[in-house]
Amino acid sequence: MKRRLFVLCMVLALVLPLSVAQAQGGETVTLRFWHTYNETSTENQMLVETLIPMFEEAHPNIKVESVPFPYDDFRQALVTSMAGGEGPDLARLDIIWSPEFADLGALAALDEVMPDFQEFADRVFPGPLSTNYYAGHYYGLPLDTNTRVYMWNQTLYDQMGMEPPATIDDIRALCDVLPADTYAFSDGGTYGWAVLPWIWSFGGAITDPEITVASGYVNGEATVAAYEFLYEMVDSGCFSPAMLGGGPDSGTGYFTNLVAGILDGPWMFPIAAAQYPDFEIQTTLMPAGDGGSISVVGGENIVLFANSEHPEEAMEFLRFTQSVDYQLKMSETAQIAVLPELLEDPFYVNHPYFGIFLEQLQTAQARTPHPAWTQIEDVLSQAGQLILRGEMPAQEALDAAAEEIDALLAE
Amino acid sequence: MISANRRASRTVNLILLGILCAGAVIAMTPMLFMVGTAFKANAYLLDFPPRFIPETPTIDNFTTAIASRNFVGAFLNSAGVAVATTFFVTALSAMMAYAFARFQFRGKQALFYVMLGMMMVPAMTFIIPQFIVARSLGLPNKVWGLVLVYTAGPLAFNTFLLRGFFEALPRELEESALIDGASHFTIFRRIIIPLSTPALSTVAVFSFLGAWDEYIWALTVMTDPARRTLPVAIANFRGAHMTDWGLIFASSLIAVVPTVTLFIAFQRYFVQGLTSGAIKG
Repeated sequence: MKRRLFVLCMVLALVLPLSVAQAQGGETVTLRFWHTYNETSTENQMLVETLIPMFEEAHPNIKVESVPFPYDDFRQALVTSMAGGEGPDLARLDIIWSPEFADLGALAALDEVMPDFQEFADRVFPGPLSTNYYAGHYYGLPLDTNTRVYMWNQTLYDQMGMEPPATIDDIRALCDVLPADTYAFSDGGTYGWAVLPWIWSFGGAITDPEITVASGYVNGEATVAAYEFLYEMVDSGCFSPAMLGGGPDSGTGYFTNLVAGILDGPWMFPIAAAQYPDFEIQTTLMPAGDGGSISVVGGENIVLFANSEHPEEAMEFLRFTQSVDYQLKMSETAQIAVLPELLEDPFYVNHPYFGIFLEQLQTAQARTPHPAWTQIEDVLSQAGQLILRGEMPAQEALDAAAEEIDALLAE
Repeated sequence: MISANRRASRTVNLILLGILCAGAVIAMTPMLFMVGTAFKANAYLLDFPPRFIPETPTIDNFTTAIASRNFVGAFLNSAGVAVATTFFVTALSAMMAYAFARFQFRGKQALFYVMLGMMMVPAMTFIIPQFIVARSLGLPNKVWGLVLVYTAGPLAFNTFLLRGFFEALPRELEESALIDGASHFTIFRRIIIPLSTPALSTVAVFSFLGAWDEYIWALTVMTDPARRTLPVAIANFRGAHMTDWGLIFASSLIAVVPTVTLFIAFQRYFVQGLTSGAIKG
């Protein structure tokens, strides 16, 4: 008797929730959303504690499972999962990864599957939107954007009696007046994010605008001049050896008055507030060269995976990420929104530091949107190391790099 | 003459001691830096020059790590996986090693070399095929998805290690047991195992460490945040733009506690076991 009662209870326990769900109209769908928000970051807290609950409340039949990944290994984990036919419904991808995953056939072409795609595309900044474009289709929508501006150190500039720089020549001029044991500039390496603002501002490029060939661009006169400038600066000790892996970390050097200037993004402000509360970051545009003042666009896109089992629900969440609510909430965590209409919003009008980034974004360029970008960047980075260590003249190293990149583009 | 010799050997000893001390300092420095940083608040950027003792030490990083979503769960997941792996690796490699050490069967040498050959292939090259197999077995997001792979990986090396040790044990013990009517399994259980504690402890500690520290496979196969292991949870404290190193180092220190405890507990056997089989060649 007891056992029968038990079985009856079990059956009821199993059936009841089902019938309730039925009554609500359709079963609950769980979406897997993979991203690289650091587990304890304010962005992650905003997403998990505010935005996803907001979305789930408006869509009672959709649950969103937020899965954080470490940035450095996300690409690899995603590639392996895709190869095994597993994967998320949605992901937040670094803009430089979009073409690669589109090329693998992992992503759904939003302009085909999303009937109101154009409506959303028209509402966002064209630059970040363009990073979703690959081989004739759009494979995502921008989620947030950022760029690097020149941050100068008030203490050192006062000591040198210099004005914040407007041109690359102004930077060069710092070398003669630098206090002992300090550097005019510092950066973390010779990867694209670091060297491209210099290359572009010198008037150089990595490839032709159609991204078919690198010869004549990455080893062109202006690009070579940019690398020669960097070599000269590092070799003379005017720039920090951090680009070659030595000396203080650029951020540490900047905050502790060892480095007069760095190029960096909006996240430096929360870092300063937490770790160096007395330090005031001063900003100006990337110092201009013959090519103007051109910085590099960063940021993330949101993409829908081609083998998502719930594309309709996933697109519903994707639409939510493009809403004013979502974008404004994320702006509170130092992420720059992708909706131009928000620039009129009091939050942006009165924001203490977003202004300079928005101004720089007007001329900033994206890293080569090509599936082989990760490999292209490796080639570039290694050529940069050879040049800056003085092991190879810039022209020779870049000629070799051009040949390698040409081969990657031809694949 | 004798005293001159003694003096010379004392000098040599002093020099050796100096070199060892220098080595110890070099080995300890990063660890000390890690401990120092773990007790520092808001360590987004590391000090230059490095500072070992924070100005205002705090245990905030430890409490933040423990209080963060999934950290305690990840610790328990790792513990479960590591204990299960240790058990399977030790049991299976001991049995395989016994067979290779004592039984004669056709193709024994060939089989042994094939197994050793598996050790030469870098694990990373396996990852995609391994994932496809794991998926067809329904293993993603299952504890077995980790335990099976973690067990299979170190089997070859540990079998190799134990075979050397077993072969060095005197055969006479087993022969007399055989005469007394013991089966091979009884011999294995009653004679081989008790005599091999140093080697078995080595295997156990190594396989525990391997399962406890493994990162890439765990990251790939466990995509349910509630089932992730400790190395993945720690890596998730890193951000694309800003990383609180104090938090990373504090959580890494927490992760080191079980391995250090284990090492101290087995230390006596451990060093003995590492050299075992060495003379056998």
